Amino acid sequence: MRASIFILSLLAALSLMLGPSALADADATFAKANADYAAGRFPAAIAGYESLVKSRQWNASLFYNLGNAQFRAGDLGRAILNYERALALDPAQPEARANLQLVRDRARALELTPGWVEQHAAYLTRDQDTWLGVIAFWGAAAILAGLHFARRRSVVWIFAFLVLSSIAGGAAFAVYQLETGSAGHDLAIVTSRNIQARLATAESAGTVLLLPPGSEIKILSTRGAWSYAALPNDLRGWIPATSAEPVRL
Amino acid sequence: MPIHRTSHFLQNGARCGTVARRLGVLLLLVAILLPSLSLFAQAPTVTAVLNSSETEVDQPVQLEIRITGDSGAVPPNEIAVDGLDIRYSGQSTQIEGRNLRFTYSFVYAYTILPLKAGTFTIPPQVVRTNSGPLRTPALTLNVSPNDDGTTTSRRGGSSPNSLKDVVFAQLVVRRNTAYVGEVIPVEVRLGFNRRVPAQMGEPPQLKGQGFTVQPLSQPESTIEQINGQTFQVLTYKTAITAARSGKFEIGPAEAKAVVQVPRRGARSRSQFDLFGMDDPFADPFFNAFSGRMEQRIVDLTSNPVTVEAKPLPPKAPASFSGAVGHFSLATEVKPKTAQVGDPLTVTARVSGRGNFDRVSAPVLEDDRGWHTYPPGSNFKADDDLGISGTKTFEMVLTPNEPKKAVPPVLFTFFDPIKEAYVTLKGDQLPVVVEGGTAPSPTPAIASNNLAAPAATARPTAAPKGQDILYQLTDHGRWSQDFIPLFQRPVFWAAQALPLLGLIGFFGWEMRRRRLENREGVRRAAWEQETAELQRKLRHAGEPPDKYFAEALRVVQLKTALATRNRRIEPNMVDAETAVAAFDLPDEKRDRMRELFRRSDEIRYSGRQNGSGTVAEETRREVLELIESLS
Repeated sequence: MRASIFILSLLAALSLMLGPSALADADATFAKANADYAAGRFPAAIAGYESLVKSRQWNASLFYNLGNAQFRAGDLGRAILNYERALALDPAQPEARANLQLVRDRARALELTPGWVEQHAAYLTRDQDTWLGVIAFWGAAAILAGLHFARRRSVVWIFAFLVLSSIAGGAAFAVYQLETGSAGHDLAIVTSRNIQARLATAESAGTVLLLPPGSEIKILSTRGAWSYAALPNDLRGWIPATSAEPVRL
Repeated sequence: MPIHRTSHFLQNGARCGTVARRLGVLLLLVAILLPSLSLFAQAPTVTAVLNSSETEVDQPVQLEIRITGDSGAVPPNEIAVDGLDIRYSGQSTQIEGRNLRFTYSFVYAYTILPLKAGTFTIPPQVVRTNSGPLRTPALTLNVSPNDDGTTTSRRGGSSPNSLKDVVFAQLVVRRNTAYVGEVIPVEVRLGFNRRVPAQMGEPPQLKGQGFTVQPLSQPESTIEQINGQTFQVLTYKTAITAARSGKFEIGPAEAKAVVQVPRRGARSRSQFDLFGMDDPFADPFFNAFSGRMEQRIVDLTSNPVTVEAKPLPPKAPASFSGAVGHFSLATEVKPKTAQVGDPLTVTARVSGRGNFDRVSAPVLEDDRGWHTYPPGSNFKADDDLGISGTKTFEMVLTPNEPKKAVPPVLFTFFDPIKEAYVTLKGDQLPVVVEGGTAPSPTPAIASNNLAAPAATARPTAAPKGQDILYQLTDHGRWSQDFIPLFQRPVFWAAQALPLLGLIGFFGWEMRRRRLENREGVRRAAWEQETAELQRKLRHAGEPPDKYFAEALRVVQLKTALATRNRRIEPNMVDAETAVAAFDLPDEKRDRMRELFRRSDEIRYSGRQNGSGTVAEETRREVLELIESLS
């Protein structure tokens, strides 16, 4: 018993010591990568940013800067991928949004088209919808409990309960749409060049669509070295699994 | 007496009216009988006249036999003259009046159709009358050849007519061999003898399998002489396309028509003359108002035609998409100058004759350095059948690098006349495309044309001279996560707070209700006890110690019931509490205090105050005080 308490205490002390140290290292690495970028040493900048990515020190600025460095290095596919990641972490980041549009145009990358429902559900971000739904849900639950114990049930409270229930349901539906839609958890970006989506899992199979780097796809399933994906223009096809990377890590 | 006079006048008037009526009837009889008398008084006469003694072959003339003075005369049933076709055509009555002498004449009409040229004598005809047989005079008719020199009648020499002499259907297929996909013009001809009124029903239908049929055009009407008969011919045009190789039968074409034929029972010269074609009276001119015709639905069925469809030769060029016929190609491009990435529109016009439904867009001879999009098309037909015309394709191209010309487009079709595949090559279209090289590879759409319309994925040209934005030095919080909020454990842990709050609310509310229920039970018991004690207090006989104890208890219970919010136990109520609870006036306050004092005195002193019962006046005062507490 004493030994376990000792070990736990030791771990707590280590985490307290290493936590600030790791964050300080991340700050230094980030600053150095920025300096490399400013000096035009783009491969070094990319290496610095990617080291932070590997250590899971993620934030929107890191992916945005990494995207910029990869654009400068001529890798438009990965530049788009990292802008998308920056927007996944911070959907309101204006710099990432502007650069994504610019690089996507340069690369002539193809985009998945969101459906009508998904377009309207995207009025709020996924997390905003989540908060809205939770607040409305608990509000509706509280009103329902009050109505349950009330001696006289007011029409106003019944109406409020219905409104909040509708908001909670709508928010849950919006979250579902956003999560499973074109920008959902299966979104991936083509990072290789000259990728052709094919009808079957063979290089000799007929081609469906040529995907410029940076094109959006939605991974539906994976079989060996091939991924079956939803493609722009409402097409489906097989692509090499290594030719695209998921936006969400 | 005036009454008598009136009656006399009435009798005279009635007598005068009777005389007048008798005179009127007499005059009427005279008017009716006089002509009859005059008619039958004369001997019957017979005459015969021709409306013209000169005519031509096939030009009918009228013969009238007029019988005067005998209504029962029987005209000749048949008049036979070689070279003349004489038929009875009707009867009429004429009345002539001269000097109140009326003469009735019965006119029997005959139509004479000259069958050949020459001079003919119609011999005297016997007419049987009541006065005996009478004879018409002999008549002479000179028949000359008609305008085209014919000396004999076409009608007279014709064979017995049948259905095909009246209506016919004919299927005309221009070619008996064709290639698969080749358009074969087809005509469906429906003929109606002009002497037979007819009306077309539904358009004809073409039966058969193994080919596709274009919708029928509107019919063209022509007049044609066929086997000496004049027909109105309706011609429907269409085109068929063989869908497979091999022999297949086209037709028959079937249609229905309504024709007017002589009504059953009407006199016909020949048993084969179903439609009265040899009968001049069957002519619509004669029968339009006679009511001798009836409508009959006739099925028209053509002969089927066999066509052999040959397969297309093997080794078709890759650009061949199934077009068969003869076509020409013209191309143009707009605009002539552009920047890299700007769209250019190449318009290709394919004109000619063939199966335009299989004519697809021409393809670029060399699409390297070009980004192509699915073309749009429209077709303008030059005929009703849509087998000749011009199909226009608009193809949008975006150059990925500087270019000096749009490469020529290729269009391949099979020419059934040359029996070979022909590839048309458009002109090389000069353009000026300037700017830097776009980074993406050339075509976005795969060559097998599986791509859907590219509108949603169509990239826009990159803004020229625009660069990405700056680096960010403020990195914000590290260790952010891609996991959505609703998948994070902390999110669900946070839901425990409102959940606990809700559970707490439920618990508190249920406890409050339970307490409220307990309080209610206790108060009900108090009320019941109060009522019971008050009932006892109203009755005399209680000893003072018990009486005042019960009275005090009632006051305490009523005070406890009155102080609902403060929750005072009855045993804790004293005189001042009771006074304050009911806000009693001074006089009652004193009595209340006296009640408590006496009760305490009796309870604690252990002796009774006075006699063994409470005085009536005291009991009344106590009761009044208790009942005033409310």
